[in-house]
Amino acid sequence: MKKFVALFLTLALMCGLVACGSGSGGSSDGGSDSKDEGGSDGKVSLNVIAAQYGQNTTSWWEGFVKDFTAEYPDIDLKVEVESWNDISTVVNTRISNNDAPDILNIDVFASYQADGLLLPAKDYVSDEVYNKLYPAFLEQSDVDGTVWAIPDLASARALYYNADILEAANAKVPTTWDELIEACEAIKAYDSSIYPWGIDMTTDEGQAAFAYYTWNNGGGFVDKDGNWTLNSDENVEAIEFAIKMVNDGYTNTDPANNTRYDLQDMFGAGKIAMMIGPNSIPQYVADGGYSVNYEVAPIPTNGGNPSVSAGVMDRFMCFDNDYSDAEMEAIKTFFDFFYEDARYSEWVLMEGFLPATTTGGEIIAKEDESMASWVDIVGSCNFYPTAKTEWDDVKQGVINVEQQALLGGNVKELLDGLQAEIAE
Amino acid sequence: MKNKTFRKVEPYIWILPSIILMAVFILIPIIFVFRMALSEVSRAGIIRGFAGFENFTKVMSNPAFKMVLRNTIVWTIAVVVLSTLLGFILALILNNEFRGRKIARAIMVFPWATTLVIQASAWKFIIDTDYGTLNTLLLRLGIIDHAVNWTPTAGAYFAWEIACGIFVTIPFVTFCVLSGLQSIDTTYYEAATVDGASYWQQLFQITLPLVRSSLTVSTVLNIIYVFNSFPIIWTITKGDPANHTDTLVTYLYKLAFYNGKQGQAAAVSVIGFMILLICASVYMVYTLRKGDE
Amino acid sequence: MAKERSPKRIILRVLLYVVVIIVCIVTLYPYFAMFCTALKSRAEIFSINGTILPIKAVWSNFIDIWKRAPMANYMLNSIMIAGGSTIIAMLCGIPAAYALARMKFKGQTVFLGFVIVSQMFAPVVLLVGIYKVMSILSLTNSILGLVFINAAFNQAFTIWLLRGTFMGISPEMEQAATIDGCNRIQGMTKVLLPVAAPGIVTTLIFIFINAWNEYTVALCLISASEREPLTVGINVFNGYNMIEWQYLFAASLFAIVPVVILFMGIEKNLVSGLASGGVKG
Repeated sequence: MKKFVALFLTLALMCGLVACGSGSGGSSDGGSDSKDEGGSDGKVSLNVIAAQYGQNTTSWWEGFVKDFTAEYPDIDLKVEVESWNDISTVVNTRISNNDAPDILNIDVFASYQADGLLLPAKDYVSDEVYNKLYPAFLEQSDVDGTVWAIPDLASARALYYNADILEAANAKVPTTWDELIEACEAIKAYDSSIYPWGIDMTTDEGQAAFAYYTWNNGGGFVDKDGNWTLNSDENVEAIEFAIKMVNDGYTNTDPANNTRYDLQDMFGAGKIAMMIGPNSIPQYVADGGYSVNYEVAPIPTNGGNPSVSAGVMDRFMCFDNDYSDAEMEAIKTFFDFFYEDARYSEWVLMEGFLPATTTGGEIIAKEDESMASWVDIVGSCNFYPTAKTEWDDVKQGVINVEQQALLGGNVKELLDGLQAEIAE
Repeated sequence: MKNKTFRKVEPYIWILPSIILMAVFILIPIIFVFRMALSEVSRAGIIRGFAGFENFTKVMSNPAFKMVLRNTIVWTIAVVVLSTLLGFILALILNNEFRGRKIARAIMVFPWATTLVIQASAWKFIIDTDYGTLNTLLLRLGIIDHAVNWTPTAGAYFAWEIACGIFVTIPFVTFCVLSGLQSIDTTYYEAATVDGASYWQQLFQITLPLVRSSLTVSTVLNIIYVFNSFPIIWTITKGDPANHTDTLVTYLYKLAFYNGKQGQAAAVSVIGFMILLICASVYMVYTLRKGDE
Repeated sequence: MAKERSPKRIILRVLLYVVVIIVCIVTLYPYFAMFCTALKSRAEIFSINGTILPIKAVWSNFIDIWKRAPMANYMLNSIMIAGGSTIIAMLCGIPAAYALARMKFKGQTVFLGFVIVSQMFAPVVLLVGIYKVMSILSLTNSILGLVFINAAFNQAFTIWLLRGTFMGISPEMEQAATIDGCNRIQGMTKVLLPVAAPGIVTTLIFIFINAWNEYTVALCLISASEREPLTVGINVFNGYNMIEWQYLFAASLFAIVPVVILFMGIEKNLVSGLASGGVKG
């Protein structure tokens, strides 16, 4: 009997495959069909891909979907949470197959906009929500006068230092680069097993280091008119300074491979005395069970330039999937629901981020004093030029420059090469 | 008459399910890769038109590509050669009967049964300078008196990655060889022992020729799997610093999903494919011919 | 003669045990490290004066992961994917390997070559195409889709290894069986397959483990979290703000268990078959 079973299974499989292949062959766009079918039975389906910020993100979205479905039973909301490592892989694979999500929560938008895949923000966000968003944030998603994405949250960076170590080493909190070197020397002299300064030049977030040093030296990625100025003298000086700190032994041993998390953990453990980090560090330290005594200060600067905080902002965007009126309405409903003040401040605080709406900012500043100063900082900080389509190349380019420089390359030549490549 | 036609068609019926399976789920996607390699692809991954060999020339003209190619070759050869050698020896050892063999064999499965991402994370954790468990272990045992930086250079990182690659590949080779060893008839050895053949003579004249078919399979497939291996390098260094530990696959992953150049990424994978094709055919022609003699 | 060799034998025996023990220790070390890390609190993992064993073992880490993520669900999905892939890969691969080993037909070498070529692209680059095929077959977001993909990607190994195994077994016994009135399929299932057990078991383990560990395709194909396999699911512990090493490692240690159980269960077949002796020194 066994032989027949085996043969039968094999044949069944073959038939199944052939049938599947020819059966749905007629409707070649299998993926997008389901969406239209969803509309016909009175239910509108809405697919969202969201980034996973931390431990609580997945369960937060689960709760969100439950609440949303309870209030709007006609909308079939599906939220897929993807880790940062993988989200672009997932999204790009879908887009290449004309199967983009309806709403996407991610950091960048320019390449999607350049392909004409997105809808203008005004089309899918009610005026009420739109007016709540910080204008400075909306500007970051502005291409040729149209806003294509809306901010969901932000974070800002500042200098964190281990107060105990600085005190024991008799070092003062640095405000300039010269003072920074002095402080590093003092800490080094106090305990050579401590890394005075943390630097991350990894593929994960090396562009942040570029921003910290160039912005606080009067340089940056672009000039006032938005032209790339990667090889400006200020930038060369800034990167040379950062590399020199590594070579002089003031930093963690392996900036090309120590990620921000490594640094944060080492900071928590008291192995790193000072580092530039995001406003979520307090929560990170608390969750990790560390007992470090730390303080926050502005990022040290050079040449009398004012201290510039680096802001990072993530976004929602809406893909143009030929929506029916009902679907468009569902998308608007989604955003109205999401940005309701109470729900929104819960979202922001869940992983220790900063709000992107004025009302959210007010609520959060009222509830938590330590957050109030951050809400101020985030209103005035610099952002990466993510609205420019070359940003992906620039980001990888500056990281490459930093790592080449760590290996002994000439910063000026490297930045000249990068500028030439980008300006092409 | 009917019987004769059936005889002719019969083999094809036997291989048909396998062909369908591979054609649908692998061949079609491969065709897509070729199409993408020859197309102009937008940053978001949409095909914009025919580009000829532009993607290829762009990739080849990048100075980093040469280094990446060299790394890939070093990585593949080092991992395949060493893991084959060690795996073979291990298989010979595990083929002996001894107490606890079952447990030893089960332990050998461990590195294989762990997801590579996790395996590589564990290695990263072990060799880390600042909180690595290897330093802790050696410090506590008193072998060293201060933390050692196990990865001072890009080359050192690459060596560790190769070690990790070997570690996870050995079980594969071991079990391939073991399955070959098990089907050798013991009478061969009995006869050889009676004839006074030494252990080494038996190894080279009986064992090796008889396990060659399984060794060939494991080596050819190993070359391919290792060449295309992604998680180890991605988890430990992501190719940093500055492409010094990149292989073709990590390089093309960055091209596709970090730089938004899916066309060029596809071109890199086609180049990798060509290299593999040449190597594998040379190797197979060589070993199959030898086997037929 | 036996008396003369016995001191040498003892030395060899001792050497054998020493080597085996060293190999086992080296192999287990990463797991020991993972286990210790899984037992530590976060602060202890990164503390400056690290210890080998946790100062205060946090056994609850091993329990927490089951609360924080639907681990049982992930595990079940993984078992279905790996088990399904193994069955389909075997059902397609055994007949193909049998035909290649026992019959002569045109295009034999071409087919063998095609099988190898099918492996030459990393799944990462095939993603876009795989997704397309799956959406045509309406298999995106389904476990069945992953089963087919894994089965297809493991055809090469299955066919090549089993072909070698079958060719190493003399066809006489099957021929004898045919004379006794068995047909080909009976000859294969009743005579050949039991003898080829070591090869078959190796192949089974191989496919199962590969499918168990597959990550990239599952990541892109499955969008509903209730259908995710373990490899994708444990990403919950890998956030933007924090990577929870202790949970990640604890979950990974659980993930090894089913594979090792499977292996222990069928390991004895690795020795059965034609020969049960080994290389004698």
